[in-house]
Amino acid sequence: MSKFISKKDLNSWLNKVREKRRLIAPTKVEDLVLFKEISKVEDIVSDYVNTDLSPKEFFFPPTEVLFSIAKKDGGVELTPARVEKETVIFGMRPCDAKGIIALDKPFLEEPTDPLYREHRDKTILVGVACLKACPECFCSSMGGGPDDPAGFDIMLTEVKDGYLVQVLTDKGKALMPDSMLSESKEAKPKAAEVAKVPAEGVNVRLRQNFDDPYWGRLADRCIHCNMCSYVCPTCYCFDIRDYPNKGKSDRVRSWESCQSAGFTKIAGGHDPRANKGIRMRQRFAHKLLYFPEQFGVSHCIGCGRCVKSCPVNIDIREIISDVQKLGAKGE
Amino acid sequence: MSETEQIRAKAKELLDSKKVDCVIGYERATDGKNARPMFVYNAKDTDRLIFDQTCRHNLVRYLLNRKDKVTGIVVKPCDSRAINLLINEHQIARDKVVIIGVVCPGLVKTDWNKTGDKLRDACQICQQRTPVVYDVLIGEPKKVEPPADAYPDVTGMEGKSVEEKRAFWEKEFSRCIRCYACRQACPGCYCSECFVDRLDPLWVGIRIAPAENEMWNTMRAFHLGGRCIGCNACEMVCPVNIPLSLLNRKLEKEVMTLFKFQAGLDPEAPQPLAAFLKDEKLGVAE
Repeated sequence: MSKFISKKDLNSWLNKVREKRRLIAPTKVEDLVLFKEISKVEDIVSDYVNTDLSPKEFFFPPTEVLFSIAKKDGGVELTPARVEKETVIFGMRPCDAKGIIALDKPFLEEPTDPLYREHRDKTILVGVACLKACPECFCSSMGGGPDDPAGFDIMLTEVKDGYLVQVLTDKGKALMPDSMLSESKEAKPKAAEVAKVPAEGVNVRLRQNFDDPYWGRLADRCIHCNMCSYVCPTCYCFDIRDYPNKGKSDRVRSWESCQSAGFTKIAGGHDPRANKGIRMRQRFAHKLLYFPEQFGVSHCIGCGRCVKSCPVNIDIREIISDVQKLGAKGE
Repeated sequence: MSETEQIRAKAKELLDSKKVDCVIGYERATDGKNARPMFVYNAKDTDRLIFDQTCRHNLVRYLLNRKDKVTGIVVKPCDSRAINLLINEHQIARDKVVIIGVVCPGLVKTDWNKTGDKLRDACQICQQRTPVVYDVLIGEPKKVEPPADAYPDVTGMEGKSVEEKRAFWEKEFSRCIRCYACRQACPGCYCSECFVDRLDPLWVGIRIAPAENEMWNTMRAFHLGGRCIGCNACEMVCPVNIPLSLLNRKLEKEVMTLFKFQAGLDPEAPQPLAAFLKDEKLGVAE
């Protein structure tokens, strides 16, 4: 027996959720499907496989004020930014929840980022299992899976007329109590078939081939925009700047990317990653070698967004295969 | 011989004879449907080269990374105008490029893992089917009758009120994530330090927010006024589908009206916004 909610009941639940909270869900914007704040539950789309941009922006926004700085009584007063409203993100895919788990590592390990912490504490994640996969998806090779509930508070699986429900945390239980749910004998549908990528042991191969000319050749084609980092659900680099604001100053952080020229430029003008090949290697070695070594989880979760969006088809799946083929010759 | 076969043969000849050490062309992307840029250093790899209506990238941008080496390059007519632009602006030397020009059938609309048979909007109104500069031409030169209105898209925008235009662009720019793919794909955007990357003094803030997004996109368009060669690479790479060609083509139309000039047609002609002519009047209103 599983818990079940009908589509009609789910919609009225979402309407209720909306009353006091910010409801974020996938919706159509021009030709794109994006996570946006929902004002009408009918605007939520369900016939998408994955959104064009990731939901990381609700924890690590493209731009946000960290704190404001004001002069007070001959000293300086800092006022940290607060997250006012509780947020519910509905319709997130299992790969994106894995992305949030990865983001938690750098932001929540000591020293914790207090604003990220608050975004996380005040957000409830309602996931929907993937019954279909995109051709660029490869989550099951990166430690996830199309029906993996990890990271969600509530996980739904679509069946006829409604959804099978798994309430996974206390936060989830408070939002969707058992009393709302009925019992169903419906069998859990088969999750999507996801293409495989030979990621096993790629970290070792990356280290062995650190100085291979492969990176320089790959960078020939790369145009070094920041798109891969910005569509990525786990890239977390940022820049910081102070902005004057009505007699005070706001300290603002905005997304940045290791792919942009000058990202690692230091005082005196030296740039340890001045060439394109080195920047390109940094991106893939961080995803597949440094981050897993530091935090124990993959920094690529196989959502396929960078694969799909890259203007020149720099394809991480192909890179993983290529690096495996380079073998141990670098050692 | 098909275009693809002719390109492969030419590339092989250039590499075998050591006339060039690299040919930049197109190969099939990993979705099996789209094209992607390919750098061929070895004659045996030339059989991966392709040409068809999915070959959307303007490869001329890559010549800026190879200024001191002789490079073979496959160009469509719009791309060929970028070569003239860069020669005109002293960025590349004509004798460092061997140009394999291809008569263009127009590009089809493509998306990741999807190709159609419908021509792209820009290609439907394109009047340049034969490259303006080449060393070898692939295909038969083609003349196209100019349409009554070469700028139907721009005319449509001009019909809107100021308020409507503002609302339109505010909505479009609100999606911008400032990934700079438009700039990076553009053959005309090659400043060694772009105004948005300048941190001291800070010209445009780092925020990914409406005011900065608008500043970024409009400033970039102005920098391309009289220089944009209309390849539409910027719009094609935009991950959030901002119709950048509307801005670029509006400026192209203005420059055409005021100066009877289109960028990239002549490598020698002075650019209207970068040169004063002896008899030139200083004010538009004079």
